[in-house]
Amino acid sequence: MRLGESAKMQASINVTPLVDVVLVLLIIFMVMAPQMRKGPEVRLPKTEKPSQQGDERGRILVSIDEGGRLWVNDKQVAAEQFGDALRAAVAAESDPKVVIRGDAKLNFRQVRLAMQAVEQAGFRGVGLIAKGRNAGTRGE
Amino acid sequence: MEFNRGDSGSNLQSEINITPLVDVVLVLLIIFMVIVPLLMQGYDVDIPKSTNAAPAQSQESRLILIISATTCGIVKPSVGEGLPTDCRVILGDQKIAATELPARVGDILGSRPPEKRVLFLAADDRLNYEGVLRILDLAKSGVEDLKVEFITAN
Repeated sequence: MRLGESAKMQASINVTPLVDVVLVLLIIFMVMAPQMRKGPEVRLPKTEKPSQQGDERGRILVSIDEGGRLWVNDKQVAAEQFGDALRAAVAAESDPKVVIRGDAKLNFRQVRLAMQAVEQAGFRGVGLIAKGRNAGTRGE
Repeated sequence: MEFNRGDSGSNLQSEINITPLVDVVLVLLIIFMVIVPLLMQGYDVDIPKSTNAAPAQSQESRLILIISATTCGIVKPSVGEGLPTDCRVILGDQKIAATELPARVGDILGSRPPEKRVLFLAADDRLNYEGVLRILDLAKSGVEDLKVEFITAN
């Protein structure tokens, strides 16, 4: 009886280590997800129904944080060098599109100046990133 | 023999079946891996050339929305949802409440062909960015395929 039982136990695959590994991977991804974004933490403006803007790949992310500091992708740039940084980022992308992630607390002036600089870098349009009311925790 | 068979049967029953758990966790993992480059939401706007003196459309057919700091009190960062109820904006040459904006924009631009649905937007520098975007959201909800030209000149 004991012999038969132990043979049965051996025959089944032990999945516990697999579950452990997968759970750890899951936790790693959950922790890393908010940090894998480019640029600073920005509290995005909350609006009713923003339209989809696709994902971040292939976009030049211009971020303006609460203090009005400018970021191009993941680098902070001084206001005087903003145009140059933008042109450098444009050269690196094949089909660039600019999106502005402005903090909700900003004055419109700071966003307007950034848009002006984007226009001077040769863009006709820009995406203003907001957060829909039912969206997740992104940008917080 | 019979005792033996019964024993091994109850032994199998007592094991927890973790296969569904593994399935669920694997699916969760895949979902997280896909969502990492999270999708963005926002508004596409155009920036007309600040030096361009000749507008693409004739002067009278241009619809201009002006948000001034004196008529719409969104100077401070807003704490709640929505806009202050006393917020008034200037659409064309009329001063209207911001809550009427979707209906009015729909009235004026809804009859035009989609490629001619253009709204020029000029906002006061002192306004709060979130408030400006909320007004833009209202204007966009009035009519489909609305192109917004953000006037950025001083």
